[in-house]
Amino acid sequence: MEIQQKDGVTVISTDERLDALAAPKLKEAVKKMSEESAAKLVIDLAKTKFIDSSGCGALVASLRTLLKSQGDLKIARPSPQAQTLFQLTRLHRVFEIYDNLDAAIGSFQ
Amino acid sequence: MENELYINIEASAEIILLRPLDLFVRNLVQQLPGFSNAEDVVDNVELAFNEAFTNVSRHAYKSNQKGPVRIEIFVRQNHLEIRLEDYGESFDPDAIAEPDFQNLGEGGLGIWFMRHFMDDWIYKSEAGGKNILRLIKKIPVNETALAINQP
Repeated sequence: MEIQQKDGVTVISTDERLDALAAPKLKEAVKKMSEESAAKLVIDLAKTKFIDSSGCGALVASLRTLLKSQGDLKIARPSPQAQTLFQLTRLHRVFEIYDNLDAAIGSFQ
Repeated sequence: MENELYINIEASAEIILLRPLDLFVRNLVQQLPGFSNAEDVVDNVELAFNEAFTNVSRHAYKSNQKGPVRIEIFVRQNHLEIRLEDYGESFDPDAIAEPDFQNLGEGGLGIWFMRHFMDDWIYKSEAGGKNILRLIKKIPVNETALAINQP
């Protein structure tokens, strides 16, 4: 997992798998971010080929954590496998999802 | 019922084994005739196995327990079966509520994914404390015979 700042937005790039091993690390990173008010976060899933229920749960938990501190979360570049799960679980209506990382970052401006 | 292929893995249900076992299942299924051109079905079988192993590791056995899990894979003429046996805490599958998709929480999707993506999902708890989960997927196309010697 990599964390970068771009144009006042934090970008977390998740690794190849967002599963029960990776999910707690993502939630922990977002919890730290939420200590700062109105945090702007893009989770870039470009490298993530596989996501499971723990990964979906971590994304939901991350959004809730940030909303509580007036922050927000956008998702960029989900794989076809992730898109399938988002549509099945209707998470595509919960998250703002972008095909392009710059567009996701720009959506905060 | 005669098996085309049978695999038996006995392991400790530790979450650190999730990825190696997951990838083993994925690579195996990818090579089976019928699944080789069905990447989405391979994804689905991998996800179902992933959820099953995670449940055993995280829920059947609590985090400080390192209980045993037996993973059997049966490739038969028309279907693939992945069977997980554990001796941890059992659950009542009929008591598992459908996820509330209008207000999705952090958990509760694992069993739903298994049921959704597999053709059959069968769970039973036997006397003696053994829990058995069977995940069954029909082989997608007619080409069901194993071609072990083919490149």
